[in-house]
Amino acid sequence: MKRRTFIKLSIAAGSAAAIGLSCKGKRRVKGSVKGASSSIGHLLREQILGEPVSFIKKEVVIVGSGISGLSAARQLHRKGLKDFLMLELEEYAGGNAASGHNEISSFPLGAHYVPIPNPGLQDYLDFLKEEDVITSFDGNGLPVYNEAYLCFDPEERLFINGHWQDGLVPSFGVPETDLKQIAGFLSKMQQFRLEKGSDGKDAFAIPVNNSSTDIQYRKLDEITMKQWMEINGFTSTYLQWYVNYCTRDDFGTCYHECSAWAGIHYFAGRKGVASNATYSDVLTWPEGNGFLVSKLEKAVQQNILTGSLVIGVELKEEKVVVKYLDVAKKEVRAVIAEHCILCVPQFVAARLLKDKNRVEIIKQKFRYTPWMVVNIVTPTLEERSGEVMSWDNVIYNSQSLGYVNATHQLLQQQVPRKNLTYYLPLTSKDPSSARKEASEITHDEWVQLLINDLKIVHPDIEDKMEEVNITLWGHAMAQPLPGMIHGGLRNQLSESIAGKIHFAHTDLAGISIFEEGFYQGINAANKIINYAASV
Amino acid sequence: MRAKEHSAEWVLLLAVLVIATCGLIYELVAGTLASYLLGDSVMQFSTIIGVYLFSMGVGSFLSKYLSGNLLHWFIRIELLVGAVGGFSAAILFLVFPLAASFQVILYSLVGLTGILVGLEIPLLMRILEHKVEFKELVSRVFTFDYIGALLASLIFPLILVPRLGLIRTSLFFGILNIGVGFYLLYFFSAELKKAGLLRVTAVVLLLLELVAFVLSENILRYSETMAYNDQIVYAKSSTYQRIVLTRNKREMRLFLNGNLQFSSADEYRYHEALVHPALSSIDNPKRVLVLGGGDGLAVRELLRYASVEKITLVDLDPEMTRLFRSQSILLKLNGNSLLNPKVKVINSDAFIWLRNNTETFDAVVVDFPDPSGFSIGKLYSTLFYNYLKPALKENGVAVIQSTSPYVAPNSFWCVDETLKSVGFFTKPYHNYVPSFGEWGYIIAVRKNKESWFQHLPSSLRYLNATTLQQMFVFPDDMKAKIKLQPNKLNNQALVHYFEEEWGKFLD
Repeated sequence: MKRRTFIKLSIAAGSAAAIGLSCKGKRRVKGSVKGASSSIGHLLREQILGEPVSFIKKEVVIVGSGISGLSAARQLHRKGLKDFLMLELEEYAGGNAASGHNEISSFPLGAHYVPIPNPGLQDYLDFLKEEDVITSFDGNGLPVYNEAYLCFDPEERLFINGHWQDGLVPSFGVPETDLKQIAGFLSKMQQFRLEKGSDGKDAFAIPVNNSSTDIQYRKLDEITMKQWMEINGFTSTYLQWYVNYCTRDDFGTCYHECSAWAGIHYFAGRKGVASNATYSDVLTWPEGNGFLVSKLEKAVQQNILTGSLVIGVELKEEKVVVKYLDVAKKEVRAVIAEHCILCVPQFVAARLLKDKNRVEIIKQKFRYTPWMVVNIVTPTLEERSGEVMSWDNVIYNSQSLGYVNATHQLLQQQVPRKNLTYYLPLTSKDPSSARKEASEITHDEWVQLLINDLKIVHPDIEDKMEEVNITLWGHAMAQPLPGMIHGGLRNQLSESIAGKIHFAHTDLAGISIFEEGFYQGINAANKIINYAASV
Repeated sequence: MRAKEHSAEWVLLLAVLVIATCGLIYELVAGTLASYLLGDSVMQFSTIIGVYLFSMGVGSFLSKYLSGNLLHWFIRIELLVGAVGGFSAAILFLVFPLAASFQVILYSLVGLTGILVGLEIPLLMRILEHKVEFKELVSRVFTFDYIGALLASLIFPLILVPRLGLIRTSLFFGILNIGVGFYLLYFFSAELKKAGLLRVTAVVLLLLELVAFVLSENILRYSETMAYNDQIVYAKSSTYQRIVLTRNKREMRLFLNGNLQFSSADEYRYHEALVHPALSSIDNPKRVLVLGGGDGLAVRELLRYASVEKITLVDLDPEMTRLFRSQSILLKLNGNSLLNPKVKVINSDAFIWLRNNTETFDAVVVDFPDPSGFSIGKLYSTLFYNYLKPALKENGVAVIQSTSPYVAPNSFWCVDETLKSVGFFTKPYHNYVPSFGEWGYIIAVRKNKESWFQHLPSSLRYLNATTLQQMFVFPDDMKAKIKLQPNKLNNQALVHYFEEEWGKFLD
């Protein structure tokens, strides 16, 4: 063989093999990208929908069926006020707590757990007792939680320094000085957890509005969590990663943007007591908080009208007129009610009220984080060393919050295929650019992003994953920026209008957690019930 | 002569290509095999690549000590690489179950291959030293070396592993190596004096590897046989587990996922102890539930009670119950128990089945594998026993196999604690089963009970009134040393105790 011929041949063979490799390489993964129906929602901005074709009368209209809305509806129903209508844009109720299911199990599309409730939240405890989440109360009056709903062991693991460690607080391969800082930080948080203000209220309470208003606590709302940490000498990068993970996890806000009050609340707000659990335990279900949605909506299902986009809310002759678009029939209808509860984020509420001033304030003060939640169908994956797959699986220094195994709470022995729910708050850019960017990313690109993150811990994930379904939440939650908690704006915006139009949403509560939505709904419903009683 | 020189150079460079390909293939085989057998592929691959490259350095260093007929050395090494590398996968599969320090053998093989491959390039450069200009020489030798590496890394995952498997891949390249050596012997026969021995060696090695290539399936089977000491008479992977039956002159053994479930020589000791203390304490037991126990051996003992009308057996794995309903040696062992018309076999998950169950039973026999992981640990939890309670009649008796109170006292007493925490009254006991060691069981009843063991069947091989009494006495070395938590789904206390205790025992 001539030298040249040989080299030619080798190159040809090499490139043929390379082509073969690349053909095999890219496998399309099944799945879709879905968002909260933003394209329909944006119809709101256009004013070309015409006049109502029908009018009906109701005592109360509830706009939005997230946790706040469902909780308001349930409260009205319990108090005997049954003549109400709930309008929901999507095809199902639940808002951020919605869920999906496939042949393996149910899985969350958003919120996926609640911590053990704080004592004294009687309405909440009653609800959980009603639904068998609390099975009984022991001799000391402490709730006994249903063991099928308390998160099973192993609960959490963190992939750090090449190893899965138990729990999320960094410890494996972490230097002694950092460990000391972490311990110091946690004991400081423990101190905050137990503190009470001079007004006798908990320094950090749930709902947030029950917290002490002492100046030393209010001041924490004037700086960011990062600033507070620096002032207090908490400079360890491991600790800062952990705190940033926590504020992104609960509030979709990085610790350098998050109010220190809210950041500390993450660690200090939980005070739950139970016969068979502690304040740091959580309740969870395969479908996440979709379980609680199904319980809340049980009694009020016939009052929910889905596929209905509310386009305007106005006061007219002592009544509230709520106009909505029947999305399927493309017809505008109207409901004339005594009261209306707006259980929607404030940027939507302001537009519905057509209140320019309100729209402007909210545009300036409220920022909503977009989130991506991904449900992955996969058989058992290759594992790195350390702890076995847990409920919550987090990767140190990842952009994402890791994933939750939705099949973790199943009782059966064999779960050969799993639903893994992956969470990514899009906090690397300002929310509106992040939102815009996210809406332009294709399914394939999301999948690649996911693989790049998860292959570190599951090298075979690219070949193994069977389906990837993406849910984009454009405005998942309002950020607790400095000033949001104690700045007074929340109270101002929570004021009912003319005693007729009421507000209930977690963005008015300060932080986006289940209890806040639950009490926002109850409080708004109670206003109406008290009004009815006083008339 | 010049033409001959020229083609000689090309033959040698081609040999470099083959050697480089083979070398990398052996390295990939070792890495893949280590990941298969030891897990943690990142760790395995990086250490193996590291050791391999380092050994190549050692080989390069050693090359200066080789002198004399370099071509002779080159072919010798070629044959050695072919032998060591070619058999490496087969050797590793075979020694895995035998050797305590598998890693030592693994890294020795990788190191040896690396040294031999490392010798070759410097050697070859010396052979061609005066035949080609230095810059041309370096350029050509390394070009072929790296092309070979690329070739290997592409065909290994795409063609070789899926088509040939690991054992045959390494043998195939061993054959190729030796083939090259053989060809060089032929090509350079004029320059190689006294190469007769080398030629014979090459032929023998070539034949050996060819035979091994054909018989590789058997090697894989044999390697599993070695893991089990005895002859494997049945091996099958069901959806849920690997079922292996072995037998020797004396006994037959069942393994699930490598864990011994019973030996036919002494299983009667286990099953008599599991069933009779509970059953003999019930007046006219009629309906019995068995959870787990797909081998039908507990059912065999239950059928000794004439009053029993219906036995419901819930076992996850249909392959297990099918096996113990159809294989004649197994039917002999369980006395056709699963074919008895009184027995109803349900293949379902015990937890889910029990949660949905509304029937009540006079006796429940719980015979699950030991709580060695979080999954199986669920079947020993407070929630599981809470579902068990309504399945048991008010006067009914349940019994739970509860691992060894000698090896794992905390685990054993944790099961006791768990049962008590949900309101059962318990009677823990134990006996000696030679193939398991000291073994434990716990009787659980809903109401405290006065009379026990009134109806013990006669003609049992192990249990009688006296041995029965002894089983309830616990010496101090089988008692728990710490305050135990009940096993709940949200603490999996039992699995943590079990891992700690059995981990220590097996180390």
